[in-house]
Amino acid sequence: MRVALSARLSAWFDQHRRSACRSYMEMRRRPLATLMTLLVIGITLALPASLLSLLKISQTMTGGHQQTASISLFLKSGIVNEKALRVATDLEQRPQVDHVELLTSADAMEEFRGHSGFGDALDALDENPLPNVLLIHLLPDSSSIEIRKLATELKEESVTDSIGYDQGWIERLQAITQAIRRAVQALGFGLGLAVMLIIGNTIRLEIMNRREEIEVTRLVGGSDNFIRRPFLYIGLIYGLFGALIAWLLVSILLMLVSGPLGRLAELYDTTISLTAFSLHALLLLIPIGISFGLAGAWLAVSRHLSSINPE
Amino acid sequence: MIHFENVSKRFPGGHYGVSDISLNIENGALAFITGHSGAGKSTLLRLIALLERPTRGQLLIDGRNIGRLPEKEIPAHRRNIGLIFQDHRLLNDRSVFDNVALPLHVQGFPVREVGKRVRASLDKVGLLKKEKVLPITLSGGEQQRVGIARAIVSRPPILLADEPTGNLDPELSREIMELFLAFNQIGITTLIASHDLDLINKLGRPVINLHRGELT
Ligand SMILES: Nc1ncnc2c1ncn2[C@@H]1O[C@H](COP(=O)(O)OP(=O)(O)OP(=O)(O)O)[C@@H](O)[C@H]1O
Ligand SMILES: [Mg+2]
Repeated sequence: MRVALSARLSAWFDQHRRSACRSYMEMRRRPLATLMTLLVIGITLALPASLLSLLKISQTMTGGHQQTASISLFLKSGIVNEKALRVATDLEQRPQVDHVELLTSADAMEEFRGHSGFGDALDALDENPLPNVLLIHLLPDSSSIEIRKLATELKEESVTDSIGYDQGWIERLQAITQAIRRAVQALGFGLGLAVMLIIGNTIRLEIMNRREEIEVTRLVGGSDNFIRRPFLYIGLIYGLFGALIAWLLVSILLMLVSGPLGRLAELYDTTISLTAFSLHALLLLIPIGISFGLAGAWLAVSRHLSSINPE
Repeated sequence: MIHFENVSKRFPGGHYGVSDISLNIENGALAFITGHSGAGKSTLLRLIALLERPTRGQLLIDGRNIGRLPEKEIPAHRRNIGLIFQDHRLLNDRSVFDNVALPLHVQGFPVREVGKRVRASLDKVGLLKKEKVLPITLSGGEQQRVGIARAIVSRPPILLADEPTGNLDPELSREIMELFLAFNQIGITTLIASHDLDLINKLGRPVINLHRGELT
């Protein structure tokens, strides 16, 4: 019998819809057990996800600061302003350099006078003791290695008296963030495996419960794919809803920290949008939840289905 | 055509289910399989449905040696066979309709076609009114008829029944046998294992008699 493609397609969708519905009903039949499993999955996924979110928030805040990373090049005395400007123009050709600002000794003196209140004492000096300084503003994406290399090169320049830069601080922060991210990734991987095993075990029990159904389905010519399908849907549903619960938990956490974080962000002159982070977490959690759910289901199904054959 | 050529089934442990069976069942035939308990009746039927694999000899169905059929082709093979068991093997967590529809769902029939065929099938066994109930609420004879409806719903060319009247009184047994005769009328090759010699003798159809796994 030839069946029209559209009819076959709708039959295919119908088969999937039926499998998914059946799986959903099966989960609804034991609401408490299902809810417990979902909560365990949700909490397990929420842990690494919230850590990643907090990490991302801290990165955004310090990222704003990192943009201002700069090197101060103190020129030797006796280098006149014209020469200093020429050096500045040269420096701007370098790849990591965004722009260079000349702070002349006179400017520096003015600023110092204004800020310090030592005006009268300064007037007593014959000569301006402050050097000309080139403020080298770096491109925001310069790595700490590049910055250090540039600083070393600048130190060798004939016009250089000394170099000042906040390298140490940036480096330490980057190293710490890197270490934390690694740790969170490893933790996330481990907990992901745990989720897979939880779902795998849940589905193993489900397979045992539905032994009779599997046997009869084999008797009437159900293919492995057909028999597998509802269990994969269970895995998918657990993964999806587990991810949604995890997202809910992460969002609650973000809400709790939003107050203090907002004040912190002000100090760093940045604003952070928690909605964006919450959305980011959702986009991360859903595919991860679904993949681990399916993987767990697949694991259980491939281990246990083949052992069930009709009597 | 179902063709056994020196077929043996030796179970792990050395016991034989059937041994050295050679027989031929023409398309459209109806035959009974008789024999004492343990004679190998079930084993013979299970071999045809590939619930067991022959350990020796050739088992040909329409010229194809199914003894060597790859594992993944077994589902397709079983779709050509309606199986009926003494204990019905119905699923008690779903309605009569859903039980009968299972072979169609497995084959991906369109929804409307499923409805039509399931009702036609239930109608043939006289249970059209019971489609919504759970099998457990039906009598033994009715459950057996649901099992038969499930076996014929996808219109397979072969029907295998393993003691379908085992638990039924003579009256019901007769009704069930008449159903099989009716299906055979429309060309379904039918094999029925049974102890019920009285009934079998009245029907006057070919009988395959087994004794300790061998033809007699
Ligand atoms: N899975 C098995 N493993 C070992 N021996 C088996 C197995 N299945 C059947 N047998 C043996 O094979 C022989 C034939 O069994 P079979 O079930 O075919 O008999 P039967 O004629 O259907 O008997 P009954 O009338 O009691 O149903 C018996 O001796 C039985 O013990
Ligand atoms: Mg038997």
